Amino acid sequence: MSTTAAFAAWIGAALIVLSEGRRGLALGMALVTLGFAGLALAAGQVEGAVALVAGGGVAVVQRLRSGKDAWGVMPPGSTARVVLAAGVGLLALWISTTVMSGPGASIRFAALSVLGLTAARVLTPSDPPAVMTALAALALSVAVAAGVAGTGPGPAVYVLAAIVAGGISLIQVSEFDGA
Amino acid sequence: MEPELAVGLPAIGSVCAAVLRARPRAALVAAAVFGLLGLAAVVLSSPGVTSNQLGIGLSLSPESRALLIAAGAAMALTVVLAPLAVERAILLTWGLAGLAGMAAIAAAGSLEILILVVLVLAVLQASAGGSRSFATRLRGPVLAVVLLSLAAVCARAEGPVFLQRFAAVGLVAGLSAAVGTLPYMHDFDPNERTATSPIPWIAFIGPVLALAVLARARELIPSEGGDLGAMMIGLGLLNVVWGNLASWRTENGAAAWHYSFIADWGLVLCGLGLAIADGQRAAILLLYGIVLSRLPLYLWSRQSLREKRPNDRPINLLAAAMLAGAAPFAGFAARVLLLRGATQLYWPLALAIGLGLLLWLPPSLRLGRSLGLPRGRQAWGIGVALAVNVVIGLYPQPFLALAGL
Repeated sequence: MSTTAAFAAWIGAALIVLSEGRRGLALGMALVTLGFAGLALAAGQVEGAVALVAGGGVAVVQRLRSGKDAWGVMPPGSTARVVLAAGVGLLALWISTTVMSGPGASIRFAALSVLGLTAARVLTPSDPPAVMTALAALALSVAVAAGVAGTGPGPAVYVLAAIVAGGISLIQVSEFDGA
Repeated sequence: MEPELAVGLPAIGSVCAAVLRARPRAALVAAAVFGLLGLAAVVLSSPGVTSNQLGIGLSLSPESRALLIAAGAAMALTVVLAPLAVERAILLTWGLAGLAGMAAIAAAGSLEILILVVLVLAVLQASAGGSRSFATRLRGPVLAVVLLSLAAVCARAEGPVFLQRFAAVGLVAGLSAAVGTLPYMHDFDPNERTATSPIPWIAFIGPVLALAVLARARELIPSEGGDLGAMMIGLGLLNVVWGNLASWRTENGAAAWHYSFIADWGLVLCGLGLAIADGQRAAILLLYGIVLSRLPLYLWSRQSLREKRPNDRPINLLAAAMLAGAAPFAGFAARVLLLRGATQLYWPLALAIGLGLLLWLPPSLRLGRSLGLPRGRQAWGIGVALAVNVVIGLYPQPFLALAGL
């Protein structure tokens, strides 16, 4: 289950990188949320999983309400982003399974790949809806990354990350130059 | 309960001020009451005692508490003696939001909570508008969030020893990106409003953030303290040279102030990197100077910078002496402590820092002149900032004791 959840999170983050329309971004956010919730459940963090679904759910609903009304997945000129999504995934897989050791490779892979991809989305020129979606996913990944330690972060960090992700998605940005 | 109140009360004050924006007087009163109550909660808090009222362990360290009090005092000073062109309610809205964020950063029991608070502050500031684009305003703090998160993963994962070193690199790089020092300097628009510019990160939130990140770093990678310190000293020297030269040579007056903060941060990074008592003391004194004196002076210089009215009155020379770290100002005591600490550790480092200190003179004279001819509230404000700095310079021990040093 945790392997499937980790790959779902990576595919979700890749969709956030590759999409320009609200439906593509929302689907990406939903996959990241479900992947992270699955990982939290597998780690025995039921309250954490519920919080992630709630926070991520708010972000998905908000994204479906604003932005370009389209899927916008892989618009023309997306080759570099496809390479980025695949490259970050492979690098995260190598680091989490070969460089790092011990149990929890799925969490490491999911956290590293989502951190890397959402950071790329925020730090490259993008429209505010895409940036806000990436920021919401980034907030959730910060909490999941804390689960890399064997002891786990406890439900409070998941709840806080969920509040941050939901809150970020509620913010309206008036400036659209994205330069 | 004090840490929770220290976070919650300023946040409520900020929200009240924002909601009551249409009625500036009511906004000012509400924000001032909640801000003062929040500051009282910080003052009354017991450093090092963990409170767990909300399910999250919150605790203020003595250093962070001292700098929170200093930040609160600086905000009170700038609001009471705000230049005529500045609306006090807006200043309080943003100042209290920053203060609440700083209290949350200082009290956070884990690096993840700290990172999430930085993310919230970054998004709130970026969404407030301004002359720089939304993505540009987010760039530095979000890069910091990502670097600190990657550092936490490297520190916590099992694996080869170099993972811990990567964690140390990530923590220093993340801190540098958040504050906006080299090599991650934030884009700076001289005409932008201070609240939405990078200045709050380098002069208001940065000091508490740096102390909190380093406290978490000591827990996460206790074996890499030497590498962490060496990186900070290296970055510190780089910022000393670059910050001072740029502050001296740049054509724009507001940008010169921005670079001067970077130069001061160079010394702070050196002090924190020394990891001995004298270095820590020097860093705390310099951070007091940044929050209590350099930031207020920057705010009061903006009107004069816009009107291009430099002046060479005695008050300008006094301000220049304070900015340069001359005796009897706080910067002098900090520099003496820093040189003593560096000599204890490795004397060529003291030589390098000593040579770097000479670079403060030309930009400080320039910045002192840029204050123009202070009148009214501005003159009072500059007088109070200089007096506070002299007191810290002459009697540093009570201020260091407040920080537990």
